[in-house]
Amino acid sequence: MHSSDLAEGVGIGPAKPRAIKLDRSDVVLRTISYVTITLFALFCVLPFIMMLSASLSSEAEIRRSGFGILPKDFTLTAYEYIFNAPRQIVGSYIVTIVMTVCGTAIGLFVIAMTGYALHRRDFPFRNHISFFIYFTTLFSAGLAPTFLWVARDLGLRGSYLAVFLQLLMTPWLIILMKNFMRTVPYEIVESGKVDGAGDFRIFAQLCLPMMKPALATIGLFLALSYWNEWYLSSLYLGSTVEFKPLQYHLYNLINTANALRNSVAGSNVSITDLPSNTLKMASAIVATGPILLLYPFIQKYFVSGITIGAVKG
Amino acid sequence: MAAKVPVERRKPLLRQLADSKILLLMCVPAIVFFIVFNYAPLPGAWIAFTNFNYRDGIFGSPFVGFKNFEFLIKSGQLWLLTRNTILYNLAFIIFGNILQIAIAVMLNEIRSTFFKKISQAAMFLPFFISAVLVGVIAFNLLNYDTGAINALIKQTGGDPIKIYSVAGIWPLIIIMVHLWQSTGYGSIVYFAAIMGIDRSLYEAAAIDGASAWQRIRYVTLPSLKPTFIILVLFSLGSIMHGNFGLFWNLVGNNAALFKTTDIIETSVYRMVLTQNNFTTSTAVGLYQSLFGFALVMTANWIVRRINKDYALF
Amino acid sequence: MNRRNIIKLGATILALGISANALMGSVQAQDAPTEITMLTMGNKPTNGRLEAMLEKLNARLLEQANAKLDLFYIEWADWQTQYNVQLLSGDDNVDLIATATDWLFAWENAEKGAFLPLSEEMLKANAPKTWAQVDAKGHWDLTKLNGEIFFAPEDNYTQYTNHGFFYRGDWATEAGFENGEITKFEDFTKYFEWVKATKPDAYPWDIAGANEAALTGYLQGHTDLQTLQQVTAGNYFPFQTSEADPYTVTSWYMQGDELLAAAELAKKWNDIGVWREDALNYDGDTREEFYAALTGVEQHHTQTYLTQIVDNMNTKQPGSDPRFFWFGKENGNFFKDIFTHGAMAVSANSKNPEKALQVYDLIRNDKENYMLFNFGIEGTDYIVTADGKLGFPEGYDSSTDGLGTNYWWGRMDEFELPKTSDAPNKAEIIAALDAQAKDYPYSTLIVSKAAIDPTLAAISGVLSEYIPQLQYGKFDDPAAAIAEMRQKLADVGFEEARASVQADIDAWATARGLK
Repeated sequence: MHSSDLAEGVGIGPAKPRAIKLDRSDVVLRTISYVTITLFALFCVLPFIMMLSASLSSEAEIRRSGFGILPKDFTLTAYEYIFNAPRQIVGSYIVTIVMTVCGTAIGLFVIAMTGYALHRRDFPFRNHISFFIYFTTLFSAGLAPTFLWVARDLGLRGSYLAVFLQLLMTPWLIILMKNFMRTVPYEIVESGKVDGAGDFRIFAQLCLPMMKPALATIGLFLALSYWNEWYLSSLYLGSTVEFKPLQYHLYNLINTANALRNSVAGSNVSITDLPSNTLKMASAIVATGPILLLYPFIQKYFVSGITIGAVKG
Repeated sequence: MAAKVPVERRKPLLRQLADSKILLLMCVPAIVFFIVFNYAPLPGAWIAFTNFNYRDGIFGSPFVGFKNFEFLIKSGQLWLLTRNTILYNLAFIIFGNILQIAIAVMLNEIRSTFFKKISQAAMFLPFFISAVLVGVIAFNLLNYDTGAINALIKQTGGDPIKIYSVAGIWPLIIIMVHLWQSTGYGSIVYFAAIMGIDRSLYEAAAIDGASAWQRIRYVTLPSLKPTFIILVLFSLGSIMHGNFGLFWNLVGNNAALFKTTDIIETSVYRMVLTQNNFTTSTAVGLYQSLFGFALVMTANWIVRRINKDYALF
Repeated sequence: MNRRNIIKLGATILALGISANALMGSVQAQDAPTEITMLTMGNKPTNGRLEAMLEKLNARLLEQANAKLDLFYIEWADWQTQYNVQLLSGDDNVDLIATATDWLFAWENAEKGAFLPLSEEMLKANAPKTWAQVDAKGHWDLTKLNGEIFFAPEDNYTQYTNHGFFYRGDWATEAGFENGEITKFEDFTKYFEWVKATKPDAYPWDIAGANEAALTGYLQGHTDLQTLQQVTAGNYFPFQTSEADPYTVTSWYMQGDELLAAAELAKKWNDIGVWREDALNYDGDTREEFYAALTGVEQHHTQTYLTQIVDNMNTKQPGSDPRFFWFGKENGNFFKDIFTHGAMAVSANSKNPEKALQVYDLIRNDKENYMLFNFGIEGTDYIVTADGKLGFPEGYDSSTDGLGTNYWWGRMDEFELPKTSDAPNKAEIIAALDAQAKDYPYSTLIVSKAAIDPTLAAISGVLSEYIPQLQYGKFDDPAAAIAEMRQKLADVGFEEARASVQADIDAWATARGLK
């Protein structure tokens, strides 16, 4: 791709394979790189460490001296509160897990199918449909009209479906998927056609299996958007459902003292006696943990997925 | 990629439909989705020109012309929101890409696979976090009484800073949080592009006695140009759209910070949800769409004239 | 993916569709009895007492009206947003909607069409007792918008809901106030300074989020301006009249130097550290903090003081001698209850509006229903003491055993009993308030807001930007900020809106021969 750019400014002779010798500038650069990357990685991780240590600290210490890197006056009190009255958080977990799993599966399937069709060069409507989808990123009705439509006309307020459906796909993910499809050699489609396979079979049996990195990448995006959802929940669910999606539950815990007490209802305490700071942190850890654990399992696919999707875009 | 596009002859529409009915069917779920959730609410933007009430409905409510826009312009709010939204996006694009490229270049200097993997995973971590959690973390770092930063300042004998009252430092904070969250992800894209550079170019550079700096200046950076341009153009497409979750969870209803932190999305959300004001908020939304549309079209037109390959559509 | 997997996937989608259907439409139209759902405010209790009470109540309602009642709660988390969103959503599962003109956006929602207009015939036929009682007092006019009734007022329940500061007499005494009595708004500076200096664990006045009291508390006591309750701009009441000139509309946001004086006092308090630095981003339960001696002042209204604060403070902070300073105490500038501090509306989307009114009428006017719905089951939720007071059974803990119906939308004096938890000085306080309080003169004034709605929205936008900062003393130069705010208000057409309200007042005053 644009290989002419690469040559600019450097006189390239015929490549002679030869070991690259380290000179002083290489050593300096390498040192800077190690140091900077280490620092930046720490900068990225530090807040999590502080959160974790805060959730393991005693409330009194947090109130007095704030957050730190290491737990102050180590205690599991906050987690005990959560797991003594686990009803709320377990309910939220179930709601969120069901939405995430179903949403990712269905969304991924539809996105892959659409991306595949839009990629097929012999599909005469692909440009129209692509623009039809892309247009929605440029023009939207806005918060109030959309809410009125979904809540009043579709009658979805108070239904998990309002959240579930609206997160199924985005134009961006479809465009990304379409780009991914380019990595599948067109010969595959051709050979499938020669064998007399229908378009859907070519997609499902020949193309999909070659798309693992793409599916992993887009799947992770979808899973993240379901897992981290709180905004649509606040609009369309509010207090109509007993179990709020996890992040919305967390949002309420964080922002409302009352919600915090309710979440550990049954524990017969005044709100001022609750370890509110550490409890918030512990809830945050509990709400975030699972999606973080997912990452190592798909890292391999994910990195190659982003690579293909973005670079070839 | 070998092009084996079948020669496209103009076929009658019915014939085209019949030939591609399976591919069309595969697009139907996505088309239905965008019709239901994006196109159907569009007429509702008419609210911007009315004094809306639900009894008379969107089209029955009294027509007020441009009155809703008039106030926005008179109060200077439209200008403030436009300025903030665009400036934040520009800052995100500029600083984001610079940092991502820097990190990617440095990652390329790292020889230890283990270190590379670990540091990449660490930098990726913030990308997994919900906006709710980002807000929690920020509040616990920045607040006056127990915030980690002020705790540090107090320990070293300084005067704590009233971060949540000083509007001036918030652009810095928001940009830093954005970089914190997106750099790990973005740098993977650039890193992948670097991996794709022909190794012989580096060897040639070494033979010519290029220092590490020259190597970066004349080989690496020019090779990243196409990726850079594509990514920038893509983000320009959404220059009028802000990351609502991030801004809302960082700033919330803190009016003291609005001057420098209020973007279109947060303002619309507040209008609808705390002020019960559908008309003005829809006017803002309509303006956002129209202005954004015009911006993207203009930018695309210019890009197309300079280099057709980079045009979005 | 082989064929079997595709079939599996298809089956999953199908299953999800089915469960989705189950999620969506669980409410099926049934012949009898009619289910009526009442929207109320608060957190749904989980101690089982509500369900037990509803079972008894529903047995009665079934007999009396062939109806069943259920409650739908708007939780306190984010309640202002959630209340409006719920009404905006047009949810047809809710029949009765709790509302209020001064804190629950009743006018705005009536205007937007969330409430069903209630015709006289409909009220007479379905809520005859409520109709007669409110009519006898002549209070239906208070609930009218453009000539139509939109809700039933809680007009037969004596309470003061004028706001003020709760503070501690013991601390005030130590701070140097005679008898621990604070009589002027600005005197709280001394109290706050003392708390700051001597009580390191407590904030002098811990507030959560936007709370205009720091300004309005001062303004009420230092002007004779009285707020027009009918016109709201978001969370603000932009128009006032003066007691001296009750038929001229003005505004303390636009006119006079008092706003600046109030803002300067707020700035002084902010510099002292009266509230937490991040008050605007803070949302804690300050009431509980007051009970735990973590804040020197808590701000709410008289009713709260008499029914909760005194009792709780006496048990949780013995000797704290809780006091109440009401805003406008300096000059008697406050109103008696406005009768629509609580009200009940019928949803415009209710499928059974008549039945809903019948149920409301039965709860409001049938003593046994009323007692059940308000206080629960006698013996387990409440007891009546020998001296005829309402008390609680042995081992009852109000923080966990509450019934939680939060019925503040049609209480009746004749069914209420004095409570063992009432403040011992209740009569004294009421007498003192009675001596000072003014009647709200504009109860029957109807303001036509359709024409000024967009302007009010714009005003709300400006106020919600400036007032929170003024009230927490966050501007370095309050005078400049106020000038800027006033300029912006003028720019968005404040004067037009004022003139429009003025015209309504003129017409109203002329028609009643007041002017």
